[in-house]
Amino acid sequence: MRERPSGFANPWLQLVLSIVCVLVSELLLKRGASNTADPADGWAWTGINSLASPLVWWAIILIIISFISWLYVLKYIPLTVAFPLSRVVDILVPLSCWIFLGESISTRRWCGIVLVVIGLALVAKPIARIEQRL
Amino acid sequence: VTLLSLCFILVSLLSFVTAQLILKRAMQPTVTSGFRDPSFISRMTIGIALMTISFFLTLGLLQRFDLSYLYPFQGLSVIIITLLAAVTLKEKLTAQLVIGGALISAGIVLVSLS
Repeated sequence: MRERPSGFANPWLQLVLSIVCVLVSELLLKRGASNTADPADGWAWTGINSLASPLVWWAIILIIISFISWLYVLKYIPLTVAFPLSRVVDILVPLSCWIFLGESISTRRWCGIVLVVIGLALVAKPIARIEQRL
Repeated sequence: VTLLSLCFILVSLLSFVTAQLILKRAMQPTVTSGFRDPSFISRMTIGIALMTISFFLTLGLLQRFDLSYLYPFQGLSVIIITLLAAVTLKEKLTAQLVIGGALISAGIVLVSLS
């Protein structure tokens, strides 16, 4: 691995920032898209009418921020590592619904969450070792 | 589910995966040569265009389908990108990365099916 900047420019920190922005934007997008759903509109399949929702615009701003830090992450971290790790967001969404909104999580969903955690650990483990050596 | 919406789901997934690979390819040379690489702009443009296509297709699909139906397809992107990054970008692939990626994909599918 190449020499990397530290502090705010640390690519791992940027990866976390990118993940948090994606997490919030996903929730905003679903709500915004549902609010503006109009099956009668012939152009609805393009999703373009979702732009009528301010929530979608907030989501777009967050996506742009996450995109910029993601590009920065890509500069330093291999895609085979960065992309799988970025999908931690897929278990953070149900977990945050469980913790903050009191929604229940089915057994099947818990199994999925466990699989993702094991997968993330497998992907992250060699990196932890490399980072330690530096 | 019509054949047409399945097509939209696949196009959305494919453009997302391709965009990630192209963006990674665009950013790689910037570590050493900054942004002066002549192919940087074209790669970045294609990558962003593909991301935009995938974004609007996903929004349109979200209006018709539950997130729990659409998300399993996005989950597959993990293992697809891991394998394609090794093939097209010559990134080092270990058994651990493949198994990890496959578990994450399988886990996302399980989490989002409901």
